[in-house]
Amino acid sequence: MEFTVSKADLVTELSLSQGVVEKKTTIPILSNVLLEAAGDRVTLTATDLELGIRCSCPARVKQEGAGTIPARRLLDYARLLPDGDVNMKFLENHWANITCGRSRTRIAGMSRESFPELPQAPEALVAIPVNVLASLIARTSFAISMEESRFTLNGALLLIQPESITMVATDGHRLAFVQAPSGETGNVDRPFRALVPKKAMAELVKLAEAAGPEAKVILAGDDNHLFFQFDHRLLITRKLTGNFPDYERVLPKDHTLIVKLQKAEIRSAIERVAQFADERSKAIRVQFTSAEVRVFSSSVETGESEESVSCEYQGPDLEIGFNAQYLLDFLRAIPQDQVAFELKNEKSAGEMRPAGENIPDQYRYVVMPMRI
Amino acid sequence: MKTYFHVDMDAFFVSVEELFDPSLKGKPVVVGGRPNERGVVSAASYAARKFGVHSAMPLRTAYQRCPQAVFVDGHPERYREYSHKVYEVLCEFSPVVEMASIDEAYLDMTGTERLLGPPLRAAHRLHQRMKEQTGLNCSIGISASRMVAKIGSDQAKPNGVLWVIPGQEAAFLAPLDVRRVPGVGKVMEKNLHTLGIRKVGDLARLDEDLLSQRFGKWGLALAGKSHGLDAGGWFDSEIGTDVGPKSISHEHTFNEDTADVARLESTLSRLCEMVGRRLREHGLRARTIQLKLRYSDFSTITRAHSIPRGTGIDVELFEEIRDLFRRNWKPGAPVRLLGVHASSWAESAAQLDLTGEERREKWSRALEAADKLRDRFGDSVVSLAASLRGDFRERAHENPAGLPGKK
Repeated sequence: MEFTVSKADLVTELSLSQGVVEKKTTIPILSNVLLEAAGDRVTLTATDLELGIRCSCPARVKQEGAGTIPARRLLDYARLLPDGDVNMKFLENHWANITCGRSRTRIAGMSRESFPELPQAPEALVAIPVNVLASLIARTSFAISMEESRFTLNGALLLIQPESITMVATDGHRLAFVQAPSGETGNVDRPFRALVPKKAMAELVKLAEAAGPEAKVILAGDDNHLFFQFDHRLLITRKLTGNFPDYERVLPKDHTLIVKLQKAEIRSAIERVAQFADERSKAIRVQFTSAEVRVFSSSVETGESEESVSCEYQGPDLEIGFNAQYLLDFLRAIPQDQVAFELKNEKSAGEMRPAGENIPDQYRYVVMPMRI
Repeated sequence: MKTYFHVDMDAFFVSVEELFDPSLKGKPVVVGGRPNERGVVSAASYAARKFGVHSAMPLRTAYQRCPQAVFVDGHPERYREYSHKVYEVLCEFSPVVEMASIDEAYLDMTGTERLLGPPLRAAHRLHQRMKEQTGLNCSIGISASRMVAKIGSDQAKPNGVLWVIPGQEAAFLAPLDVRRVPGVGKVMEKNLHTLGIRKVGDLARLDEDLLSQRFGKWGLALAGKSHGLDAGGWFDSEIGTDVGPKSISHEHTFNEDTADVARLESTLSRLCEMVGRRLREHGLRARTIQLKLRYSDFSTITRAHSIPRGTGIDVELFEEIRDLFRRNWKPGAPVRLLGVHASSWAESAAQLDLTGEERREKWSRALEAADKLRDRFGDSVVSLAASLRGDFRERAHENPAGLPGKK
C-alpha cells in the first residue's frame, strides 16, 4: 500500500480517533490505527472493542491496501511535520515508510489481519441536525452516574419518535430530560430506544464540533450497536444493555410551588457559598421565602457562608438541602437568563427548568434533596 | 493535675450469673455455652481461671482444662441491665463517666475532693456503694493518667484499690511486663522482645527517636505510655469525647457445619438485623458492608461491597450481604461461620434517591418501632421473617449495643 495525504487532513482525522484508541490495553493491536487506501481516499479506523471510529480523507493512492501502526505515535509524529504532503508506504514486514519534505521515518506496524472487524451499518434510521444532538448531550451527560457498578446508568437513554428526539440521563439522585422537536426526521414509524454509553457521548461531542453547526448526523442501529454517520466519519458504539429506570415516573407531575430566579445571580451565589460546604457531600441549605432565596453552607473544617438573591415566589417558607454541584451542573448548562425552581417539600424531588422567553425545546432537571 | 479512676468490675459476667444463682458462688464457672458446643468462653470465674481457663478460649478446650466447671449460657440482657446499674452508681461520683466497655469505666474525679474526700476515701465509698446497689465487686485504679489508672485497676484485682501517687507513675510501671500496657498486643510484644525489651522500665529507658523510627506514631505513643502518660489512640482524646465505633460486626459459628442455603441465608438475615440495630443505636449509616465466610476446613473469605449513600436498614444490609453470599459461596460447601461487618460511616447529610425513598422511609419507621420493642422486651421479641430459621442466642459481648453513657 502506498498513498499521499495532506498533513493537515491526516492530523485532523487521527486526532478524532485518539479518544477511541485504547490507552492501557492488553491487546496491542487496539493501540493501532488501521489505514486502508482505496480509490481516492484513505480510511482510518480505531476501536477499543466498545467503541469504533472510522474516518477518511482524500488521498492520492498509488497502490491500494491496508496496514496498522500505533495511533498515538503516528499522531505525535505527524503533528510535528511541516505542512504539506505526507507519503506513506507500507512494507512487507508491516513497517511503514513515512516521507514528508526532507523527513524520512520508518514506523513499526502490525498486520491488518489481527485488527478487529467493525460491524456494518444497517439501513439509516433518521437524520438529526448535529447541533441538536450536541445540545442534547451537553444538557444531560453530566447527570450520568460515575458509579461503574450501576452500569445501566453509565449512559443516556436516546429515544427517537416521529415528532421528537429525547435524551435522558440519571445517576439515581438527579435526572436530566431534554426533548427537542425533530423537524424533518426520516423514516421513524415507531419509537427507537437505545442506551448510549458515556464514552460514546464524549466522542459524539467532538465529532459534532468537527462537523460544524449546519451538518446532519445519520443514525442507524442494529441489535447491539449504534451507528452515527457524520459525513465521512462514522462512530460505532455498543449499546448499553439493561433496563433504564422508568424516567416518566420520576418526572414530577404535581408541583405547587414555583420560584423564579435570575440565573446569573443564583449561580454565583451558590458557587461562592459552596466553597464552604462539606467537601464530600457538597451539601448546602436553600431557604425559599417570598422576599428572597437564601443559600447557606457550613463545614466544621472550613467555615460557613450565606448569601441571598431576590426571587419571585408566593408560597410558604421552605428550607431544603441540596448538593450544590447538582444545582450548578444545571445552571451552567443552560443559555437562558432565567430559571424556574419547582418544589413540593423538603423531602420530595425539586425540578429546575429554564424560564422566560425563547425556549426552543423542553428541558427538565429533577433533583432530589439532601436530608441535613 | 487530673485525678482519674478506672473502675473495672470483677469477673462481671460470672458475678452477675451468681446473683441469679447463688449456688454458683466460689465454684469454677464458665460463661459462654455448653462444653460440647462450638464457640468461645465469654468469661470465667476466678476459680475456673486457676485451671487455665480464660475468655476467648474455645469452650471445648475450657472443658478439657476444667471438666468440673459449671458451664452456663450467657445472658446478654442481664449484663446490659447490670451495666446500666453500674453506670448509675458511677454517675453519683463524677459527672464525667465514660464506659469503655460493658464492665469498665473511666471517671474524671478531678475537683471532687471537697465533696467526696481524698481519692482513697472516695474509692472506698465507691466500693461500698457499688456493693449495696448492684451486689457486685469492682477494682479501682487511681492515677493522674487514665492509662496508669487502667493498669492500676488490673493490679488491684480482685476487689481492691490502687492509687499511684503523682510522680510515681514511671516507678510503678517499670517492673511490669510490656504486655500490660494498653495497646501492646501479641505482635507488638514480640517485636519488643526481639529488641530485648521485656519490662515497661526497659521501654522507658529507650530513646524516643528510636521507638518512633522503628514503630512510627505508635512508637512515640509507646514512649509516652512507658512514662505513665496518656498517649495514642483513645488516650489522645478526653474522657466523654466519644469517638464512636469504627466498625460494627456480628458473627455466628454454627454448632454443626451446614450447607443448607435457607439456614445460611436466614442466619445472615439475623446477623444483619443485629448489625442494623447497633448502627441505628449509634445513629450511623454504613457505606461498606462485608461478608465473612468460613468453611469447614477453616479457609475463610471476606468480600465487601460499598453503597455510597450508606444504610442502617436491616433489609438493605441483607440485600447486599445476600448478594455477596450468593456470588461467593461455593454451593454445597459446608459453612462453619458467617459474619456481617459494617464500616466507613456516611456523613450525616444524606443525598436522597429519585426512587425508593418511600420504601426506605417505611422501613425506618418500622425499625424504629421494632427497636423500641426490643429495648423493652428483649432482642428476640421481633424479627424479620427471613431471620426466623437463623434464630440463635446472642453471645455475651463486651461491647454490645446500648452501652450506658455512650451516645
